[in-house]
This record gives sequence, C-alpha cells and structure tokens, in this order.
Amino acid sequence: MKRVAAIARKELVHIVRDRRSLAVAILMPLAMVLIYGSVIDMELRDLQVGVLDLDRSDASRELVREMTASGFIVEAARLASRAEVEAGFRRGRFRAVLVVPAGYAAGDRTGIQILVDAADAATAATVDNYLQAVVLRAARERLPAAGAPPPPFTARTRIWFNPELASAHFVVPGLVALVMMMICALLTSIAITREKEVGTLEQILTTPVAPAQVILGKALPYVGLGALDAALILAVGRLAFKVPMNGSWLALAAYTLLFIVIALAVGLLISARSSSLRVAMMAAIIVTMLPTMVLSGFVFPIASMPRALQAVCQLMPATHFLVVVRGILLKGQNWYPLQTAILAAMAIVILTLAARSFRLRLE
Amino acid sequence: MSGEAVLARGLTRRFGRFTAVDGIDLAVAPGEIFGFLGANGAGKTTAIRMLCGLLPPTSGEATVAGIPVGRRAVELKQRIGYMSQRFSLYEDLTVRENLEFFGGVYGLSRHRIAARVAALLPYLGLAGTENRLTASLPLGYKQRLALGCALLHEPRVVFLDEPTGGVDPLARRRFWDLIYEQAAAGVTIFVTTHYMDEAEYCGRVSIMVQGRIVALDTPAGLKATTGGRDMQDVFLRLVDR
Amino acid sequence: MGPLASLMRKEFLQLRRDHAMLRLVLVLPIVQLLVLSYALDNDLRNVRVSVLDEDRTPLSRGIADALWESDVFVPGPPLASGDDLARSLKVGRCDLAVRIPAGLARDVAGNRSAAIGVHVDGTNSSTGGRAAGYAEAAIARAATGRDGRVGAVRFFYNPELESRLYMVPGIIVMIATIVSAMLTGMAIVREKELGTLEQVLVTPLGSLQYVAGKSAPYALIALVDLALATGFAAVWFHVPLAGSPLVLLAGVLAYLAVTLSLGLIASVVSDTQQQAMFTVWFFLVFAIMLSGFFFPIENMPPWARVLTWLDPMRFFLAIVRGVLLRGAGFGDLARDLLVLAGMGAASFTGAVLAFRRATS
Repeated sequence: MKRVAAIARKELVHIVRDRRSLAVAILMPLAMVLIYGSVIDMELRDLQVGVLDLDRSDASRELVREMTASGFIVEAARLASRAEVEAGFRRGRFRAVLVVPAGYAAGDRTGIQILVDAADAATAATVDNYLQAVVLRAARERLPAAGAPPPPFTARTRIWFNPELASAHFVVPGLVALVMMMICALLTSIAITREKEVGTLEQILTTPVAPAQVILGKALPYVGLGALDAALILAVGRLAFKVPMNGSWLALAAYTLLFIVIALAVGLLISARSSSLRVAMMAAIIVTMLPTMVLSGFVFPIASMPRALQAVCQLMPATHFLVVVRGILLKGQNWYPLQTAILAAMAIVILTLAARSFRLRLE
Repeated sequence: MSGEAVLARGLTRRFGRFTAVDGIDLAVAPGEIFGFLGANGAGKTTAIRMLCGLLPPTSGEATVAGIPVGRRAVELKQRIGYMSQRFSLYEDLTVRENLEFFGGVYGLSRHRIAARVAALLPYLGLAGTENRLTASLPLGYKQRLALGCALLHEPRVVFLDEPTGGVDPLARRRFWDLIYEQAAAGVTIFVTTHYMDEAEYCGRVSIMVQGRIVALDTPAGLKATTGGRDMQDVFLRLVDR
Repeated sequence: MGPLASLMRKEFLQLRRDHAMLRLVLVLPIVQLLVLSYALDNDLRNVRVSVLDEDRTPLSRGIADALWESDVFVPGPPLASGDDLARSLKVGRCDLAVRIPAGLARDVAGNRSAAIGVHVDGTNSSTGGRAAGYAEAAIARAATGRDGRVGAVRFFYNPELESRLYMVPGIIVMIATIVSAMLTGMAIVREKELGTLEQVLVTPLGSLQYVAGKSAPYALIALVDLALATGFAAVWFHVPLAGSPLVLLAGVLAYLAVTLSLGLIASVVSDTQQQAMFTVWFFLVFAIMLSGFFFPIENMPPWARVLTWLDPMRFFLAIVRGVLLRGAGFGDLARDLLVLAGMGAASFTGAVLAFRRATS
C-alpha cells in the first residue's frame, strides 16, 4: 500500500505541475455544463421569417402583426416578389416566408403559402408548426362565426420527471459520464503510454513494485480527479440549472464507482495496445470520447438509429450508466438490476483483457 | 571587419534576476579549435545559443563569422553549423533523407546537395548506411551524421555542444579525427565537452564558472598558471575556487 | 531545392513512415462519417407508447389506433392501472403513456368536455416535448377528423424533411476540423519534445517558411479527407452538390488556414503533445457547440449568439451547407467567405508571430 501511495503521490505531482492540463481538466467540464445547459435548447426563439404580402390590406398587415406578436417570430424581411425567396434562403436571411395571397382580405385562406427552407429538417418542421398555429388563430379570430365547433375531447399533457423540459436536467447527468470517460480513460491511458515512451516505466518496474501496484498508483489520482469533476458538474447543475436529486446519493456513488472501474480498464487496455503516445491519444479519443458523446444517448436518441448502430450503442458502458444516472437524479429510481449486471460484466471483461495484454507487453 | 571567427565583448544574458552569462569576452581565430569548458549550469549552453542567434543577448555584443549576432540572423545561420548535446536529427528519416533535408533547408541547390552528400558519406564513414533509418544506427554513427548535417553547407564556424556524450572511446577518437581535419581546412571549431582528455586536443580552452570566464589559455598555459597536473586537475582547481 | 520544399518533403516522408497515423487519418474519417451520420439523427423514431384504456369502447380503441398512424410511435407494453403507468415511466419501459379515462364515450355522447391524459417521460427534454406534440396532434385528429391546417406548405431543398441531409455536411466539417487542428496541434511540439526543433532553428529557415512548410502537408491531408468524405456523402447519403465546387473550395482553403494556424499556435504554446492535444480539444468542443452544428444559433441565449461570431466553424458550416444543399454562390456567401478569409489571414499571422516569439 505504501508503494501504491508513493506512485500515486508522484502522479499527483505530475498532474499539479502541468497547470494547463489541470486547468483544462477542471474548467472544461464546468464550461461544458454552462454551455450545454443553456445552448441545447430545442425551443425556437427569434425565428427569422420573411413576408411576401400580395394583398397589402389592413387584414394582411394585421396577420403579420399577430405573427410577430407571438414573440417567437421576427419579421426578417419584407419581400417584393417571389424571385427574392430563394436568394434569401441561400443567404440565410430567413428560414421561412409567409405568402399572403391577393384575396386575403376578401376571405381567401387557402391561398396562404408557407415556404420553408428545409435544409435543416428538424427546424423546418417546427417553423411550419409555429406558422400554422399563428395563421390558424388569426383566421379563426377574424371569422368567429365560421369557426369549427369545439372538439369533443382534447389531450391533457403531463410531463413527468422534468416538467419544464429543461435541457440541463437531461444533459448534466450525461456530462458526468462524458467527463469520467475523459479523465479516467483518456488521461490514464496517456499517462501510462507516456511513461512507456519516455522509458520511466521500465525504471519503475526494476524496483520491487508489482506491476499491478504501479497501475493502481497511477490510476488513483485520476480517479480522484474524475470524482472531483463529477461532483463539480453536479454542483453547478444544481446551483445554476436546478437539476434535482430525487434518488439516493449512495446509489449514485456506487454506480459511479462501477463506471470509473470500467473507464480505467478501457484506459489501461488502450495504453497496453498502443505503440506510441500519438496513437494512444488518437485511439483514446476515438474509442472513448466520440462514442460516449454520440452512441450513448447523451444527446441523440438511440431509438432513432438504425438497428445495427443500436446494437453498437448497447456495447457502450456509458449507454447503461446514463440510464442509471438520469434515473437516480430525475426519477428517484435507485436500483437497476439489468444495468447493474451489464456494467459489472463489462468491468470484468475489459479488466481481464487489459490485464492480459499488459502482461504480454511487459514480458 | 575583424579577422576573428568568433568575437564577444561583454556578452551578457539575464533571465529575470538570474544572470546566466555575465559579460564574457573572447576571440577565436579562423581554423582554431576552441574548447569551451565549464561545470553544468555554468552558462555554456546559454552562451552558445546566443552566438548561434537562437537567443538575443541582454547586453554586450558578439560577431560570428563576420556577422553581428542579434541582427541579420539568417545570414549568421547560413555561415555556422550547430550540433547539440542531444541527438536531434529525425529518427524516422533515412541517413540520406536527413542530409538532403538539411541541405535543402540551408538553401543548397539539388546538384550541390548530391555532390556534398556523395563526398560526406565516405568521409564520415557512413557509406553503405545511407538508406537505413536513422533510428536503427548506433549512437556513434548518429553523431557523425549530426556532424555531417552541420557541415553540409560548408559553414565557417561550427558549434559542437558536447558532441561525444555517451559514445565509446573508439568512436570519440574517430569523431575528433574529423574535427581536426575540418580545422586544418580552415573551419573554426567551437566545442564544449565534459571529457578532459578532449580538452587537451583543443588549441585554446576557456573555463566558465557561474556565468564568467575565469581562465582562457592553451592547455599547456593553463597547467602552468594553475599548477595542475592535467586538464582534469586544472578544471577542478578553477571550478572549486 | 528551396528550403520550403525541403521542409515539406521531409514532413511527407515522415508521415509516409507513420503507418498507424496514416491509417487513422485516411480510414477513420469515412468510418466517422458513416457512424455519426446515422447516430446524430434528431428525427423522432421508435418512441414506445403504452396505452391505458380504461374506457374500452369503440371510441377509445379508435383513439388508440390513431396513435399508430404516426410513424413515430411503436407500441410499448400494455398497462393495467394508473400505478402501472407511473411505474412503467419510472423504470423506462415506455417513453410515453396515453390514459383514456373511463366514461369517455359517455361524456362525448352527452356533449360534456373530456380530456385524454398524455403522460410523457421528460427526462430527454428534446424528444420528450416533441413526442408529446405528436401525441397531442394524433388525438386532435381523432377528435375533429381534420389535421387543422390552412394554406399550402412548400419545403425547399429537402422536401422529405430528412435531417440527415443537414447533419452530414456538418459531420464533414467536424472531421476536417479535427484532422487539421489535431495533427498540426501536435506537429511542432513533437519536434520540440524530440529535440529536432533546435537543430532546425539554427538553420536559416525563416518563421514564415517553417510555419508554412509545417502546415502544408496537413492541409493536403485535410483536403484529401474532405474530398473523400464529400464524395462518400454524395454516393451513400445522396447529399446533393447543388452549388459550385469552386465556392466550396474557396471556403475550404480559408477555413483550413484558420484551423491549421490555430493548431500550430496550440503547438507552439505547449510543452508536451498532451498539452497541445488538450488545448486543441478544448477549442474544438466549444467551436462545435457554438457552430450551429447540432443546435440552431437563433435558439441560443444572446451572450452565446455573440460568441458564435468568434467561431470560424460557424461560418464554414454556413458555407458548406449553403453550397451543398441550397446551391449558394459567391454572392450569397460573401459575408461568410470574407469573415473566414479574414480569420484565416489573422490566425496565420498569429501562428507565425507566436512561433517567432517562442523561438527568440
């Protein structure tokens, strides 16, 4: 234990001396919470819409006024002819154009056109819905007698676990997984490969320390750093974005520990298999960071992917960890038999693989 | 323009409050082998870096191969060669590729590079290794290759910063033979070393302590003034004082 | 052979010998493009909906059937009770639950207003809200028999509303950025670590020549990657090349000047490759976030919108999407091209100055 402590202390000195890497390791997660928490917002604001008013009547001006009164839509341009539509799209001046037909004041509703720049398909659908709603309301208000009877039944929506649909509540648990992978897998693999490259690993191995102790000692400070980052992210999420904690801290700590073990094992596996620092760094980013960001349901829903890719997602430890963390924080669900089994199995398999390739390397 | 190959007057370099080189004066003649000795941390490397135009002096002035350092750095670099204590060629290039690269960087024509490489390879004892990756060469070969890269453009002054560190006596001997031949051809050699037997090979030797030159003379002269038996003894007496 | 040409030749020789790196640089972009294009898909699909039908009348069954008309929903496990509904949402057996209350048919027949419960798991703030919207629309359709639309809609450039068409150009941009900035990020610091930089510094090679020579090979790699990725995107994902390749090339060159220079600056100010990589990574995370790649810029809070003006990727992305999807020309993209060219010139100068400062 004393030997492990000696190596851990040495590693800690490395970490603290390298001010910039340390700053990145601590500031990046914080900045990510702040930016992700406020930037990922699917609710459209200040939608730029152009208007082509062929009617030029009080009624058509009223329609445009109502459109902008909603607060979501900004009148970005007043067009003189249809020829300007595509030029505006190409320049990115507006995302949609509302065409008011010449007979609008006289009651022509079917001639209304909504032209949407659908290059961005997701936004296009939302833009269409917004404009439809505005036009529909205006049409109904202006012709109250002709309006349809109220529907026999309506939907009453209740949003569970995140009633305000705050994106931060969704993203913060994901960031915990991402940062764990970054610190525990990426940094550990870099630290070990570096010693191998510089030759100091050989120097340490000539001392009576067991290889397992070396690895453990090197990994421990990164575990600490990872845990610190996770705590910071959760704290900022709570203070700045009011991310709730509905479950038990103990459950969260236990699952996080399990995930750390997996992340470390991945880091070890990478360092055992890579020939040089450059390769290790590229591999670490490709094997840990990208899949954790992309194939874990961190932002993009797994259910929307093709089957083959969904299967790949199931192989990512972060996928299962994310279900757990989100469940504990937002839903107050503390026990996940399926995820526990999968994560434990992953830990055992990756650790065994890493240990085996490490032994091969050292002999 | 003075005839000296290297001339320094009150050359000084400070890093913050620390004075690494403290007003050194020296004059080295063309074709001379000048030994630049001193303990680790005495300021030798800083002084050489200033003379090579890698580091601007805080005060004082120096002229190398007729060019004042600090200004006209490109012209200066064209006339000098430099080989550092750390083997610093590209390990993932072959011997020939390393030579061709430095030839190109020094602006030699393709024709000239081919001629120089053809002449240098046998001269350096590297014939037959030209297509080997530098990483696979023994250290002694690598050092001769580094010397080759520094001599390729026929510089008037060559700075060698501990050129023979870590190689066996035979390889060192071969290396010094090359240095003698270069000096005989009129190239000025400015060399630092920790091997005191090598100091004996130099025409004149300076000894640096804490940023100052405390002694400058021929090896024989130094032994006479300090009463040392050999250069090792001379060095210890001056540095300890 | 000039000094610049020698330096470039050396860089290429070294790159050719580094097989692992070469494989990574040439094969990986295609794999990334393929995986990311399928993964970064914001369209809603396979949302599991469970129905709790407490009414059990033809009307209630009709409402349930109306849900399956949407291609977004797939049936989840059936629900037995209100408790079961809460439980299913909590453990994630379904994403959305619809509760049709007992007596619905009776209320409708008696002209009393009735409500159908839509319960959605809001954990995923983005999909949750949209899934609820689809469910509400389906129920409204069942109630009125109409879809409540007025006028005509026309979708330009992407009539099928495939979000992939929009994401793929973004992924191409991201790959080009990662390759160019990461590789140059490590380029100079690697020579620093190996000690070869000093040997080059004593030669008459100028700062400008050194920076240009160091970045040229990586520019070529990035160009090859871009061409590979764009070709692949056209063949596999049917992304159109609506505009002129010349406009695209102009944007690419200006953008590479920015990323390569920023990579070199990161390399110059770092002492180890690890630090350089971190610096570049740090830059990349924010550049990607603020570029409008995933999240439309107009949705961002005002302070973040101001920051996007500093993000070169924002302008390059606008150029790539504009040219590929909308057929935008030089005139349409003049602002983005000019800003990018300015950024390119500024960062290249910055790289040369940073290198000069660091080495003297």
